[in-house]
Amino acid sequence: MGMDRWFLIAATLLAAVGAAWGIASVHRGHRSRATVLWMMAAFLCQLGFLSIRGQMRAACPLVGTGEILAFLAWSLTLFYLLIGPAYRISLLGVFTAPVVVLFQGFALLPGVLEMNPTRVLGGNAWHETHSAMSVLAYGALALAAVSGVMFLVLDRQLKEHHLKGGLFRNLPPVRELLTSLERLLWLGSALLTVGIIAGFLMPKTNGALGHPIAAVLVWLSYLYLIGVQRVRGLTGRRLSLSAVVLFLVSLVVFAFI
Amino acid sequence: MEILCLGLNHRTAPVEVRERFAVSISQQGRAAHDLIARAEASEGVVISTCNRTEFYLAAENAQAALKLAEKHLAETTQLELDASIASHFYRLEKSAAAQHLCRVVSGLDSMMLGETEIFGQVKEAYRLALEGGATGGTLNKLFQRAFGIGKKVRTETSIQEGATSVGNVAVDLAEKIFGHLKHSEVMILGAGEMSRITAQSLVSRGAKSIFVANRSFDRAQELATEMGGSAVRFDAWQEVLERVDVVISSTGAPHTIVQRADVEKARRARKYRPLFFIDIAVPRDIDPAVGEIEEVYLYDIDTLEQLAEEARGRRQLQIDQCERIILSELAKSKLPGL
Repeated sequence: MGMDRWFLIAATLLAAVGAAWGIASVHRGHRSRATVLWMMAAFLCQLGFLSIRGQMRAACPLVGTGEILAFLAWSLTLFYLLIGPAYRISLLGVFTAPVVVLFQGFALLPGVLEMNPTRVLGGNAWHETHSAMSVLAYGALALAAVSGVMFLVLDRQLKEHHLKGGLFRNLPPVRELLTSLERLLWLGSALLTVGIIAGFLMPKTNGALGHPIAAVLVWLSYLYLIGVQRVRGLTGRRLSLSAVVLFLVSLVVFAFI
Repeated sequence: MEILCLGLNHRTAPVEVRERFAVSISQQGRAAHDLIARAEASEGVVISTCNRTEFYLAAENAQAALKLAEKHLAETTQLELDASIASHFYRLEKSAAAQHLCRVVSGLDSMMLGETEIFGQVKEAYRLALEGGATGGTLNKLFQRAFGIGKKVRTETSIQEGATSVGNVAVDLAEKIFGHLKHSEVMILGAGEMSRITAQSLVSRGAKSIFVANRSFDRAQELATEMGGSAVRFDAWQEVLERVDVVISSTGAPHTIVQRADVEKARRARKYRPLFFIDIAVPRDIDPAVGEIEEVYLYDIDTLEQLAEEARGRRQLQIDQCERIILSELAKSKLPGL
């Protein structure tokens, strides 16, 4: 087994420990301050994985479902590390870590990650920009979905007057969650716009139209969502549900690669 | 050297007795100084809050110092310390006095279990005695240790967690919804006492502005002026609803004032932002159907009271753990005078 896979296993285990640690802390009624450290360690291992795969490919390692999922997990971790501590959004790590474990765990399933990646021949800058920006955008949009889930949990607790327990005490305020969700949607949509434009500028490959059509539909859906939120306004519940559902549906794009 | 404590509090004495022995903050340093001179003690600290007045002394002979201290109190208050008054006092010596101080600092002896204000009040009383030269090695070590133990109790247990009054529950909920309240606007419907207290708590936590709507516009203006807000005519509160984040209602009306349709009308203009309704009126001012609107969080007096009661119950469950911490920390301390 190559060193790249070991890095990915280590990153998955570290994120899993971060998730378990965070969940146990919340169960005890405390805020988990260590989760961010576990996620930082996981992030370093993800960098190790991507670096080795990048050398093997001699290009951005975004070939095949396994690499895309690992890159997506890295992007999600990156945005969490940038946004969570900076805006003091407590528990964001506890909600993010399981998603990272899920993505990387799927990438580690037998046959998903290419064992001996070959060099990418005839690489193109627009193509790499398209892949990297799109997956980065998905990281931001995934984190928006995570914030959405956090909002839905808190909203339900507040609506039903179930205010006991560590989860309620440690979740960030409603307004902060909605603000971070909105900012992440804007950031994700902006990055996706760059990815889509780069996609149109890269050399065309014959055949499958499914991927560009799905990608454009996802992009337009996100633009519509932030447009409606900006102009007309949306309840927190609708905005959050939309962010979660849209992200899950948008993963279909990868099925067409 | 022996440590002793002579005091009375909300449990042992009614307010009409407590107020006779109260010592104003400006006089506490001086009172400590006078007390050690008259009680033939080496050191003294006087703590006086609305719920307690306590005299801590370090003396060679605790029993004699207690008698002299009581005599001094009788003289300064011009009260006969007969059985009817003396029975309100507790007299604690050595480790019992030290444990009591730790319980006071930790909020275990407070009317509102676990409240935090007492910690600062004791610290201030000690500072005044220290600056007045009324303390020395024995009480300095005792008070420093008590502050350390008080902090440990508060951080290692949940004794101060959860709001225990209706007003504080409402304010905590507002912060859970809006975070820091500096960007939040509040509207009060009805200028009753409860709304005033709750609104004041919101203002003290940084609420941006307050609007007061009341059937009597004069009363609305009066309350608005008191809180630095603006008065609104009662028939215009629906317009203000478009901009506020929190509505506190306590009108005394026999029927509901805020209907679902009123809120539905304002939703579009509000861009569906979260809205927090606090209904502290009986009968209720806000139609329960308002709480079914997605972005509305509605809490009535019963729910708030129940949440406060639950928090009080949770604090009660922490008492044994707090007492254990106090005993084990004092045992480790090897303080002089115990």
